[in-house]
Amino acid sequence: MRILVVEDEPMLLAQLVEGLSEAGYVVDTANNGADAHFIGETEPFDAAVLDIGLPQMDGITVLKKWRATGRMMPVLILTARDGWHEKVAGIDAGADDYLTKPFHMEELLARLRALIRRTSGHASAELVCGPLTLDTRSSRVAVDGRALTLTSHEYRVLSYLMHHQGEVVSRGSLTEHIYAQDFDRDSNTVEVFIGRLRKKLPPGLIETVRGLGYRLAKPQ
Amino acid sequence: MNPAASHRSLRVRLLVGTLFWIAASILVAGWGLGNLFRQHVELQFHAELKTHLDQLTAQLVVDPQGRLTLSAPLSDPRLNKPFAGLYWQIDRVAAVGKPAAAAVMRSRSLWDQVLVAPEDTPLDGEVHQHRVTGPDGAMLGLVERTVRIDEMPLRLIVAADERLMIEPVERFNGVLWLALGALGLGLAIAALVQVIIGLAPLRKLRDALGRVRNGESRQLEGDFPAEIMPLVEEFNAVLAQNTEIVQRARTHAGNLAHALKTPLSVLANAANGKDEALARLVVTQVDSARKQVDYHLARAQAAAAVRLPGARTPLKPVVDGLVRTMQRIHAEQNLELLVHPLAAALVFRGEEQDLQEMLGNLLDNACKWAVHRIEINARIEQDNLEICVDDDGKGIPADQRDAMIRRGVRADQQMPGTGLGLSIVDDLARLYGGLLTLANSPLGGLRVTLTLPAAR
Repeated sequence: MRILVVEDEPMLLAQLVEGLSEAGYVVDTANNGADAHFIGETEPFDAAVLDIGLPQMDGITVLKKWRATGRMMPVLILTARDGWHEKVAGIDAGADDYLTKPFHMEELLARLRALIRRTSGHASAELVCGPLTLDTRSSRVAVDGRALTLTSHEYRVLSYLMHHQGEVVSRGSLTEHIYAQDFDRDSNTVEVFIGRLRKKLPPGLIETVRGLGYRLAKPQ
Repeated sequence: MNPAASHRSLRVRLLVGTLFWIAASILVAGWGLGNLFRQHVELQFHAELKTHLDQLTAQLVVDPQGRLTLSAPLSDPRLNKPFAGLYWQIDRVAAVGKPAAAAVMRSRSLWDQVLVAPEDTPLDGEVHQHRVTGPDGAMLGLVERTVRIDEMPLRLIVAADERLMIEPVERFNGVLWLALGALGLGLAIAALVQVIIGLAPLRKLRDALGRVRNGESRQLEGDFPAEIMPLVEEFNAVLAQNTEIVQRARTHAGNLAHALKTPLSVLANAANGKDEALARLVVTQVDSARKQVDYHLARAQAAAAVRLPGARTPLKPVVDGLVRTMQRIHAEQNLELLVHPLAAALVFRGEEQDLQEMLGNLLDNACKWAVHRIEINARIEQDNLEICVDDDGKGIPADQRDAMIRRGVRADQQMPGTGLGLSIVDDLARLYGGLLTLANSPLGGLRVTLTLPAAR
């Protein structure tokens, strides 16, 4: 899961990056409105954490521009102004939730999980696919109740596939969602992670759709 | 209108002043004109008497027998008609060898009466005037002169009833006062109309101010005379400046919040998750600082806004925006938010941000506690806007409701939220002269009723 974090205060940005990375997300950052607008419009993200008070272009404007060009990822706005005026303006600009500063990192993670889950149509925090379960709160994966040990890259690939169960996910979009923008990407590494996952998971869960990508589905 | 108020009334002052001068000048004019006319009539009266006296003097001759006689009768027919009001008489004045004799000759109009003239002996050529009582008791104006005929001194008297003089004066005075009365009435009506027309812009100004107070407009609107226009412009400038000051205060408050809360976030996150005494202290103190900042900023903003006249906020767009927001941020709970139709006439007399703050907190509370359903309804009740928010949650027992509104008490400490929500709403409502009441809802949970001033 790839998250865009937009915050102009460097300390808070560092804390957000640390907290989100620990929770297993891939994090891209921007510290002003103009950069945020550009990166949010050109790169695919599963969610964005957007501060309202930004230099160059305020968060509400950035959000409106994203929505106007059809960027529909869930957006959690951070606001220092605890007024309903700002909240209503944020929601009307296209935000999905808001969090007032100062906030607890746990609350931010919980809200973000709920947003991503809701966007992909899952009602529960625990994603299930046949014998396979993935708890988005604790980042634990289990098969028939037995815990699986996964590397962080393997977890990201599996988590993305679990959130998009039954859909064909291309290698390219997998790459985009498990690596940050400045990472040296190589789509062949995706094949390596898929290979490793197949060895750890029951057979038949991850299907290769020739020429298109991969699909995670319950075995027939 | 009590006496003090009438003394302060501009209209009464102007009217009393004008009416006083109208009455005074009419009285002076009436008195002056009446006197002038009376003098004129008096002069004419005496001139006529003197004409008759001259005629009498000229016609008086002594005949060959030595008797006094008139060479021709006097021309005025009234002299021959008994008691017609015009008389003449000749008295003989006592002289050497002859006693005085009254009425040696007299006009027929005197019949058998004698005019008694006061003791007087005018020198030759002089004409004297007197007033005497006439034959029928009326006052007579009298002129006399002394002439000598054959060394015999005679007193020639002509008299006329003063009513002949008074009657035209009275007739004139009657017509004069009638005319002056009509003039005075006309002037008074004109003065009244002038005062009403002249002061009309002041009433218009008052109406315009009333509209600003009621929140119907933010500025004094309308055309005013050149004398009042500078006042209106100054007042509008003050209003605009007030609005600007409040906007600036809001921006500053927002900037302060932003400047304080971002470092608080950094502090809280740095301390979070570490089980040290210092870290725990930082977390609790940051939380407390945040609550204080929120509470006092909300109050400061509202206190500034309440003093701003002319603010009006239609209810419907605010409720619609908040309902959209609630549906998004409480999406997990699958709540049904039912808004009863809100008429366009439901308008709050105050700032939009304050209404959003109050309703936002109420709806957010309702969303936290509701099971499935929230209903919002509003109506106008005696110049007040009454907004009801009902939920089907578990409600609050009657004996705890007061405590809920008091600052910082939370019904359930497990529920997320500051616990300051209801008390901020209560504070804001009170600043606007409104009221927050809690009751049982027909839906089973809590009914929160917010009463606020309505704008017309």
